[in-house]
Amino acid sequence: MAVDADGAVTAPGPGSLDGQPDPRAELIQLLTPEGERADHPDYPLELTTDEVKALYRDLVIVRRIDTEAIALQRQGELGIWASLLGQEAAQVGSGRALTERDMAFPTYREHGVAWCRGVDPTKLLELYRGVSHGGWDPADHNFHLYTIVIGAQTLHATGYAMGIQRDGLVGENGEAAIVYFGDGATSQGDVNEAFIWASVFNAPVVFFCQNNQWAISEPLERQSRIPLYQRASGFGFPGLRVDGNDVFACLAVTRKAMQAARDGQGPTLIEAYTYRMGAHTTTDDPTRYRLATELEAWKLKDPVQRVKAYLVRTGSADAAFFEGIDEEAAQVGKRVRRACLEMPDPAPLAMFENVYGEPTALLREEREQYAAYLDSFVDEEATR
Amino acid sequence: MTTLTLSKALNAGLRKALEDDPKVLVMGEDVGKLGGVFRVTDGLQKDFGESRVVDTPLAESGIVGTAIGLALRGYRPVCEIQFDGFVFPAFDQIVNQLAKMRLRSQGRVAVPVVVRIPFGGGIGAVEHHSESPEALFAHIAGLRVVACSGPADAYTMIQQSIRCDDPVIFFEPKRRYWDKAEVDTAGALAGALPLEAASTVAEGADVTVLTYGPLVRTCVEAAVAARDDGRALEVIDLRSLSPLDLPTIVASVRRTGRCVVVHEAPVTGGLGAEIAARITEACFYQLEAPVLRVGGFSVPYPPSRLEEHYLPDLDRVLDAVDRTFAY
Amino acid sequence: MSEVKQFKLPDVGEGLTEADIVAWHVKPGDSVSVNQVIVEIETAKAVVELPSPYEGVVTGLLAEVGQTVDVGTPIISVDVGGEGEEDSGGAGTATTETDADEGLRDEALADDLVPAPPGEGAVEPGIEGSPAPKVERQAVLVGYGVKLGATKRRQRKGAGARARPDAGGAAGAAAPGAAAGQASATPEAASQPSVAPGHRAAGASGDGRPVAKPPVRKLAKDLGVDLAGVAGSGPDGTITREDVQAAVAGGAAPEPVVQIAGAREERIAVRGVRKHTAAAVTGSAFTAPHVTEFLQVDVTETMETVRRLRDLPEFAELRPSPLLLVAKALLLAVARHPMINSSWDEAANEIVVKHYVNLGIAAATDRGLIVPNVKDAHTLSLAGLAQALAELTATAREGKSQPADLAGGTITITNVGVFGVDAGTPILTPGEAAILAFGQVRDMPWVYEGELAVRRVTTLSLSFDHRIVDGDLGSAVLRDVGEMLTDPVRMLAWC
Repeated sequence: MAVDADGAVTAPGPGSLDGQPDPRAELIQLLTPEGERADHPDYPLELTTDEVKALYRDLVIVRRIDTEAIALQRQGELGIWASLLGQEAAQVGSGRALTERDMAFPTYREHGVAWCRGVDPTKLLELYRGVSHGGWDPADHNFHLYTIVIGAQTLHATGYAMGIQRDGLVGENGEAAIVYFGDGATSQGDVNEAFIWASVFNAPVVFFCQNNQWAISEPLERQSRIPLYQRASGFGFPGLRVDGNDVFACLAVTRKAMQAARDGQGPTLIEAYTYRMGAHTTTDDPTRYRLATELEAWKLKDPVQRVKAYLVRTGSADAAFFEGIDEEAAQVGKRVRRACLEMPDPAPLAMFENVYGEPTALLREEREQYAAYLDSFVDEEATR
Repeated sequence: MTTLTLSKALNAGLRKALEDDPKVLVMGEDVGKLGGVFRVTDGLQKDFGESRVVDTPLAESGIVGTAIGLALRGYRPVCEIQFDGFVFPAFDQIVNQLAKMRLRSQGRVAVPVVVRIPFGGGIGAVEHHSESPEALFAHIAGLRVVACSGPADAYTMIQQSIRCDDPVIFFEPKRRYWDKAEVDTAGALAGALPLEAASTVAEGADVTVLTYGPLVRTCVEAAVAARDDGRALEVIDLRSLSPLDLPTIVASVRRTGRCVVVHEAPVTGGLGAEIAARITEACFYQLEAPVLRVGGFSVPYPPSRLEEHYLPDLDRVLDAVDRTFAY
Repeated sequence: MSEVKQFKLPDVGEGLTEADIVAWHVKPGDSVSVNQVIVEIETAKAVVELPSPYEGVVTGLLAEVGQTVDVGTPIISVDVGGEGEEDSGGAGTATTETDADEGLRDEALADDLVPAPPGEGAVEPGIEGSPAPKVERQAVLVGYGVKLGATKRRQRKGAGARARPDAGGAAGAAAPGAAAGQASATPEAASQPSVAPGHRAAGASGDGRPVAKPPVRKLAKDLGVDLAGVAGSGPDGTITREDVQAAVAGGAAPEPVVQIAGAREERIAVRGVRKHTAAAVTGSAFTAPHVTEFLQVDVTETMETVRRLRDLPEFAELRPSPLLLVAKALLLAVARHPMINSSWDEAANEIVVKHYVNLGIAAATDRGLIVPNVKDAHTLSLAGLAQALAELTATAREGKSQPADLAGGTITITNVGVFGVDAGTPILTPGEAAILAFGQVRDMPWVYEGELAVRRVTTLSLSFDHRIVDGDLGSAVLRDVGEMLTDPVRMLAWC
């Protein structure tokens, strides 16, 4: 199996959803970088203009939130931020494929999926500002908290899917779980264990891997000798590769995989072939390990631009539409900025809460003593 | 009242939990068809089905990780780690996920998972089958850590642990699996000693002996033998290692003025160190002697032919008692 | 209205503590909007573009191209003021948004309280609203960076607020205060005393154990003091070191005697000095092999000398006694035979010869036998020695001998004559090599200058540790003392 610089497979290999070898290049694409519609026999996709416009809006706003957060970090308002720049289509496409009852397990970079699920973007900032370790209730939007330990959430998602089975919600009226992770995570033991469990128990979970080519400074070749989607066949379930910068394809592929899971056909591994346009986080310096030419090549595949090009090409949207979207995105950005700056620091004694269902006697005592200690000073300590 | 071995008492407690709450699941390697390598889960799969009593793949991190996912979905999984020495692949899921999920979610998410771990030595086993890693877990905020010592406690503690909304690491003394005692299987759980409570199993005025798990029996036997020396040992089974029942411990040491902590785990960095520090602080004015600890040496657990030299026994316990009187 | 804000060089999380200004993208007078790139800085690793946190007009560039700037230094000032400007969303703008008011205290200050002073001189943390960290931090590669530690203590309220000795530490006194009882409380919790250290007194009364710190317990044990009989003057009724020492000196109650009327036996608890004495003599007797030698001595001349000393003005206030001359004689004998003034060090396998004499005098007191000693008796004049002996005996009789007085003796004299006996086999004071007893002085028939006469005679008994002192040495010492007491002039020859 050989792959060229565009990620297109030059020699075909197995892995379509049906498990049949596909003579076509294994990179499922429904929208080219130039904004032209393409077809794939396994993924018929009909979208209305409004639906495309909605996807475009999602992409622009998600990017704007991300940009605002980077700026806030550069201004010292966030300790760190993990940017999703370049991965918007993978996240919006898959995110919009989920039903309300499906459960999503993110890593720490799925701000686009969070947006699709309805999580207030300012909630994402709490973790990065250091105000809490997680700002939202997973049950509110069926979007689990961010997990920083690489790959750990794949087991959580698999267990959750096993719970769906025990609830009898596989098949008719079914639900499924989707779990996000990166190319680096596929090396973690937990991820491989999750593949085992999901396959032997036929659990209704979709493994959505955003292969953005880099795990901080280590390239894909350091994580796998073979294309990632082929790993699934080793575990006995279908794997496929989709153009991660193509929101249409990501939407279609995820819809189908999720439905298969809900129907009881078990797991699928979706490899969304994309690129991390920014740094791993705001503390990373990618110029140390990758070439500017690579970045330039991927700029030509920008996920947001190609949708705009499609809308323009098909005459579906005018300048007013695009300006309106930009303005809306700017407002979202401002809202995020203001919420960040206004975010109150947690009270010191909050540290002692929510360690257990009920605090232990020791915790109560520690809390009391620390309260007395704080009270013993003449002045309040300067914050942060 | 029925006479049960510790293993059977756990079995009965698990059975009761599975009966009482349809959300309770049992999962681990060989727990289903085989009934567990110590038969603790014997018969459960037959009666409750493969969906509720699950033979898992051979992957400890997977066992705990998927249990977390099941708990997120509303289930109450009871995981089994087959032997103490094999818990370490699951350490990341236990420490980084189980222990922290509630705080991470600011109280919105509970993970009521029980991780059962047979622990301790004295069974003539090969490497990794005789460990006592409880201090590592007691050090992690967010976990509850308990250890049963006999059938009666095992029966109630396993049920209480399953009902607890916090994650519980449940240590079972494997060399005591075959000890028998009367168990009140008809009694209501509400009347049982709370999970966090220590239990004074022998009263005495001369020295407080604190222990848990496999050495409770040893210390009680030591207390009987100590009468020949004219000494009255007060033996307390800690039961709950995190949180510790400090009021019970402190009240006893304030009365006796002397304390010996006994555990199989190595003395260095063991739970005895934490207990000694707490006692020193709370009982400084009543102590006649420093708190002494009896435990394993600062070596990896030895081959079984040497384990009797490593493990605390009646003589080592009473030797420590002697030493506490030498001050 | 103008409101000038400064943007301080932030920690951009790349481990930098400083950065160079590479290029300004704006100049004074330019309008800037939020997130507009205003400057490129170069860190040790890469060039980073900084976006403006403010919307407004640039009033000043505070760092020059090429300048190296520390993190936290203001680099640009921007006038963000002006009513009715389009919402910038930036921090602390004067324009209000309906839901933006609450957290912006700098805005409140600017509008309502202190008119915002212009320019850099007025920058104050807190009012400034600068987005840069308010506390200086050392930049590290991940996160906000290490907060630089304080170099001075924060001021605390009065001593009362410091009552809890362990505040702040996780060590926090042991644990569960009993009262708080939640569902998780143990059944005994309600009846247990709190385990906080402040409640140590609970131990004293509740459990019947005397409360004292381990070092105090050891002191009591060494001095033979039973803590149960000592009242504690320390906080919460704890027994202090001073309480124990006072008990030794006689401040405590005498040994309780349990008497039942008509009983055939009475039992006296072994406590206090009796206990200590018993331990001492037992230890001594069964460690050092004792040998006792006896010498009868004609002390007629000594008694005469004592009488004549009393007439001397130097001794007017003092009452020289035979003990004084016996003491002086022993001191001179020690000078001639230093080995008699030594100690056996078992642990080091060495004999320690002392080149000083702390002369112990056995004293019978109400509380029992004690042996206080005169420090450096060998340096004292005869009058000084008389003074010291007088004080020592008076103190002992009043029961006020201090532990220091009782420790460190090198050789002992015991006067058994006051009990009306002639001689004895005294037991060594622990740690010493010899003890000299002298008995009553009696009129006895004696051969004096070849003829029978009635002379004043006493018996000297010298016990010594045969590990250190052989018969020849012991005899020599005894003989020397005897000769000096027979003829006091001999003291002049040997001093």
